[in-house]
Amino acid sequence: MSDTLIGVARPRIDAPEKVTGATRFAADGYVHGLLHARPVLATDAHARIRGIDSEDALAIPGVVAVLAAADLPIASVGTDRTSEPLAREEVVFAGQPVALVIAESEAAAEDGAEAVVVDYEQLPSVVDVEAAMEVGAPLARAVEETDDEAGDLESIHAGVDHGQEDDPSEELSGNVLDRITRDRGDVEAAFAASAAIVEGTFRTPWVYQAYLEPQVCTAWLEPSGTLVVSTSTQGSFVTQRELARAFDLPLERVRVIAEPLGGAFGGKFALVEPLAVGAALALKRPVRLVFTRSEDFAATNPASAQVTHLKIGARADGTLSGIEARMIVDRGSNAGWGVEGITSLLVAGPYNWEAHDIRGYGVQTNRFTFGAYRAPGAPTAAFALESLLDELATELGLDPIELRVKNAVVEGDIGVSGNPFPVIGVREVLERIREHPLWATRSSLPENEGIGFAAGHWPGGLEPAAAVCRVNSDGTMTVVTSAADMSGVNTGFAVIAAAAFGLSPDDVRVVTSDTSSGPYAGGSGGSKVTYTVGAAVLRAAEAARQKVLAAASQELEIATDDLEVVDGEVRAVGAPDRSVTVRELAQKALRFGGIYEPIEGHGGSAQTSGAPSVAAHLSHVRVDRETGQVELLRHVIAQDVGRALNPALVEGQMRGGATQGIGWALFEELDHDEDGRLLTGSFLDYALPTAERVPEIETLIVEVPAPDGPFGAKGIGEAPVVGAPAAVANAVAAATGQRMYELPMTPPRVWKALRA
Amino acid sequence: MSDSVSLAVNGEERSLEVEGRTLLVHALRDGLGLTGTHIGCDTSQCGACTVLLDGRAVKSCTMLARQAEGHEITTIEGLGQDAELHPIQRAFVEHHGLQCGFCTPGFILTTADLLSRNGAPSDAEIRHALRGNLCRCTGYQGIVESIRAAGAAS
Amino acid sequence: MIPAATRYARASDLDHALELLGEPEAKVIAGGQSLIPVMKLRVARPSLVVDISQLDLRGVREEGDVLRLGPLTTWAEVAAAEAFERPALAAIQECALGIGDLQVRNRGTVGGSLVHADPASDMPAVLLALRAQLRLRARDAERDVAVADFLRGPFLTDLGEQELVADIAIPIPPEGSGSAYVSVEHPASGFALAGAAALVGPDGETVALTGVGATPFVLPAGAVRDAISRSEIFGDRFASEEYRRELAAVVAARALDAARQRAKENS
Repeated sequence: MSDTLIGVARPRIDAPEKVTGATRFAADGYVHGLLHARPVLATDAHARIRGIDSEDALAIPGVVAVLAAADLPIASVGTDRTSEPLAREEVVFAGQPVALVIAESEAAAEDGAEAVVVDYEQLPSVVDVEAAMEVGAPLARAVEETDDEAGDLESIHAGVDHGQEDDPSEELSGNVLDRITRDRGDVEAAFAASAAIVEGTFRTPWVYQAYLEPQVCTAWLEPSGTLVVSTSTQGSFVTQRELARAFDLPLERVRVIAEPLGGAFGGKFALVEPLAVGAALALKRPVRLVFTRSEDFAATNPASAQVTHLKIGARADGTLSGIEARMIVDRGSNAGWGVEGITSLLVAGPYNWEAHDIRGYGVQTNRFTFGAYRAPGAPTAAFALESLLDELATELGLDPIELRVKNAVVEGDIGVSGNPFPVIGVREVLERIREHPLWATRSSLPENEGIGFAAGHWPGGLEPAAAVCRVNSDGTMTVVTSAADMSGVNTGFAVIAAAAFGLSPDDVRVVTSDTSSGPYAGGSGGSKVTYTVGAAVLRAAEAARQKVLAAASQELEIATDDLEVVDGEVRAVGAPDRSVTVRELAQKALRFGGIYEPIEGHGGSAQTSGAPSVAAHLSHVRVDRETGQVELLRHVIAQDVGRALNPALVEGQMRGGATQGIGWALFEELDHDEDGRLLTGSFLDYALPTAERVPEIETLIVEVPAPDGPFGAKGIGEAPVVGAPAAVANAVAAATGQRMYELPMTPPRVWKALRA
Repeated sequence: MSDSVSLAVNGEERSLEVEGRTLLVHALRDGLGLTGTHIGCDTSQCGACTVLLDGRAVKSCTMLARQAEGHEITTIEGLGQDAELHPIQRAFVEHHGLQCGFCTPGFILTTADLLSRNGAPSDAEIRHALRGNLCRCTGYQGIVESIRAAGAAS
Repeated sequence: MIPAATRYARASDLDHALELLGEPEAKVIAGGQSLIPVMKLRVARPSLVVDISQLDLRGVREEGDVLRLGPLTTWAEVAAAEAFERPALAAIQECALGIGDLQVRNRGTVGGSLVHADPASDMPAVLLALRAQLRLRARDAERDVAVADFLRGPFLTDLGEQELVADIAIPIPPEGSGSAYVSVEHPASGFALAGAAALVGPDGETVALTGVGATPFVLPAGAVRDAISRSEIFGDRFASEEYRRELAAVVAARALDAARQRAKENS
C-alpha cells in the first residue's frame, strides 16, 4: 500500500467535464414525452383550503392536469413533506405547495399556475418563536397527525441522542414539540465558585442553503412498472426508502438515480421527489419539476432561526466552571424533527465543563419546514458560546486563545452527551492558529479595525457503507459507490483506491451508481462520506489487490508474499524485472476461456468510533462607524482534517465553509412579516457573499489522523462553517468595543448598536 | 404563436422555433440542447446563464431569443476546440476553480470577456468583474486564482 | 420565471419605433436589463415588445458646451467613453462602473434605466447634479425636459405613450469643476440605500440624492444636513428612515469632499 499518492494536490476528476459544460445535471437530460410541473404555493401562513378552482387553468392550451393532494396516490399518513407534499386541508406556512399544474411546456405550466384560484379561510398564525412557546399561543398546526416512521431524515445529519426529555415544571404551549434536557453536576454551585460569569441572549435568523442549482426531479414509470426517479439528491437510498414508504411501493420497484449535484449543503433530501413522483404515478407520464429560484426560496427547507440564552462561568485561572443554556429552535412547520438535540450538544463546544444545565426546545411556528444546512445547529451555538468566551477572557485578563486551550477536550474526555470524545485535534488547531502572525497584530491595529478569534467543531457522522473496485480489461480500475458526490469525495475515492491497489490515480475512474445495482451508501451529509464510504473503498481496493496478486502469483510462479503492485505492474520485491502488468492479467481474466477470476473487490465498513473535526478562525475587519458597514480584510482558518487526501480539495471545503459562515455573520437572513409572508424571496433581498466582499482566506491544514479513517482521513465538510460567524462577531467587538448579539450584522444593525 | 428564428451559435447558423417571450437561455437549452448554460435564479443575478454575445458576457436569462438574432452567441460548449480545453478552462481545472460546477460555465465566460479587455487584471479588478456571478461552494478564491493564472497564460 | 405571452418586433428607425408604439400595450426594449426582469415577474405584461436596439442612438458627441449622450449607450460604453474622462464629469464613470455587474453593463442602457425610473437607481442622481436635459421625440413633435421634471415618482416618468428619449444633453461644467458619486449599496440588490452625486465648481455646489425618496432629487441649497432633515426620506424593514437619513448625510458629505478635491485639481 503506497502512501506517496496521499497528500498530493490534484484537480478534481470531474473538472474537465464541468468546465466544458458537459456534465448533465438533473434538469439537463432529454426525456421523450416529458411533462412539466409548476407548483401553486400558498400565500397565507396558516389557513384552511376551502377549494381549488382549476377551470381557467385547464382551459389554457398545453395544460394537461391540475393536481391537488387527493390526486396523488400517497399511502402514508403524516404531515412531513414526503407524506404531505401538497397540503391536504391545512396550510401551515406561506409558500407551502397546494397544487401542481402539469403541462406540455414550462411556459404553459406557468400560465396554468397563474390561473389556478385557491379559496382559503385564514387561520390565526404564530410567527414569533418565543411567543409561540407561551401557553395560550395559537397552535401553528391545528390538525395533529404524526407518522413515527418519519424520523429517518434526522439521523442522516448527525446521530445524536436527546438527553432526558422531561420537566413538568415548565408550562409551555402545544407548539413546543420537543424538549431536550442535558444536565450534570451543580451549575449553581459552579457559578458560585467562579471568578467571572458572563451571559447574553443571542439571535440567529432563518438562513437559506442557496445551492446554485434549484431543486429538481424527473420521474417516470418504465413499461415493466419500475418507477425511475432521476434527481438532484444527497441520498439515493434515503430517497428510495421515503418514496417507497409514501407511495406504498416495494423497494425493488423504485429506482433512484442521484444525478450530479449543483450544490446541496443539507437541503436536498426527498423534498421535491414526492411531488414529481406523485404526478408521474397519477398521470402515468414522465414529469419533471424544476423549482424556480423564487419557489426554492419560498417552498423548500432552510435552516432554523434560534434564540440562545447562555450563561457561562470560569475560575480565576481560566478553568471553565458552569454552563447554563436555554436554546429555542424555530422548527417552522417541521413536526418530524429539529436541531434542538444537536445544538444543545454543541453549545458546550469542544471544551470541558465542571457542570452543565442545557435545555433545547423545538418549537413549531407558521414558517418554512426547517431543513439541514451545513453543520445544522452548530454555527448558531458557537456564535453564542464563542462570543461569551471572549467576554470571559476579557474579565479574567486572559488571552482568548489561551482560555480555549486551557479547557480543550482531548480523547477520552466526557462531553455533555455523556460519551467520551474520540481523537480530536482541538489543542493542535488552537496552537496552530495562535502562531499565525495575524494574531500578534491584534493590539496594534488602526482605529476601527479588529481581529476576532473563534473555534467550532462538528462531531462527524457514521453509517455503514459498501464499495466495489473493478479492474477493467485495459488495466484501469473503476470504483463504484452509491455516495452522491457533494463535496468532491469521488476524487478522494480515486486516490484511496489507487494508493491501496497500486495504480496511478489517472487510471482510476469513479462511478456513482443508483439504487438498482449500487453497493449501499447512506446520504451524503453529516461529514461522513470520506470516513465511511472511503473506508469501504479502501477495503474493496485491498480485496481487488489480493485477486491481482493471486493471478500474478500463478502467472509468475512467485509466492504472493514476495510480490508488490506498483504503478499498474505486479513485480517481485527486489527483482522488478520479474513482472507482469495488471492489464495483461486482466486480459487473461476477462475473456472467453480466461484463466483468472475477474480482478474485482468488494469492501464494507461499519465504524463505530466517530471522527469529529475542529476548525478555528481569525477574522480581521474594519468597521465604517458612519455607515455600519463591516469590511472583511482577511480571514484565516485552521482545521484538523485527519489526513488531507488531496490538500486542494480540503482547502476548497475550508474556504467554502468559512465563506458560508461569513454569510451567516454579515449578510444572510430570511425575513417574514408579522403575518408570516416571506419578504426576502429572491437574491434581490437575500444577500449571498460575492467575490468582492469575501477576502482572501488563508488555510492551515492540521493533520491528526483519525484511527479508523482511510489513511487517517475523515469527513471535513461541516466543521469550517461552525466558528466563522463568531470569529467575525468577535472581530467587530474588537474593532468597535460593541458586542453584537444578533446575526446577520447588517450595516443598519451595526450602525444602530454603535449608537445605543 | 411561434416564430422561426435563426441564431448564430458557436460558429453555426441554427434554426429553431421560439415564441416572442422565449428567453435566450431556454432557446439554447431546450431548443438547441446546449445544456451547459444553466439557470440558477429568476432575478438576473446569479450569472449561471452567462454566454458571450459578440464576445461580451451577457445573461442569457435576461434576453429574449428574438433579440439575439443577428448577433454571434458563444456558449460554454463553443469555447474549446474539439478535445482541447480553452486556456481559461484549463486554468479552472488546474487551479481548482470549481467544486459542484453549476456556476462554472458562467464564470468561465465572464472571464473570457474580462481577459479580452484586460489581460492582467489585479485581484481587486477580478473580484469586481465577478459581481454578477454567484458561487456558493468555493468561497471564490480558487476562482480568482484560476483567472489570474489564465491571464498570465495568455 | 417565464414572461406572459407577448409579440416581438424590431424597429428599423425612430419613426418605425414610434409607429409600433401606437399599440396600447406595447413597450420599448433596449438592453432589456430593466424590462425583462419585470416581465419575468409578470408584473409587466406588454402585448408587444418593440426592440429599438438598432436605432442610431448610441455614443457620445461634443457639441459646443454640451455633451450629447445617446440613450442606447450601454453602461460599459459610458464607463469607457473618453469624453467623460475629465474631473468635472468624473461622477458619470464613477457611477457607471458600479451599476449592476459586468454582464448587466454590457447590455443595460442609460436611456432604458432612466425611463424605468427605479427610485434607487444611481445615474439619475448624477444627471440631476449635472443638470442634464432630455430630448423627447414623438411622431410629429420634439421637446426638451429637465431630468428633474422628467422623474415623477417611483417607476413613473413624464414620457408619453408614443414618445422616445432621443438624446441626453449634459452641459459641460466650467473649468475649476469637479464631480463625484458615492453610494452605500444594499448588499443583495446592489441598488442604492443612499447615493449622492455632487457637482462643485465656480457656480457653487449641487448635491442630488437617490435611494431615499420617491424619486432621486436635488437637495435644496444650504447646509447639507439641514437640507436632508427637511427632505422626505423613506425607510423600510432593512434600512429605517432614521438610518437612511443619516446615510444620506454621510454619502452627501463624502461626495462633496471628493468633488471638491477634483475641482481643486481641475483649476
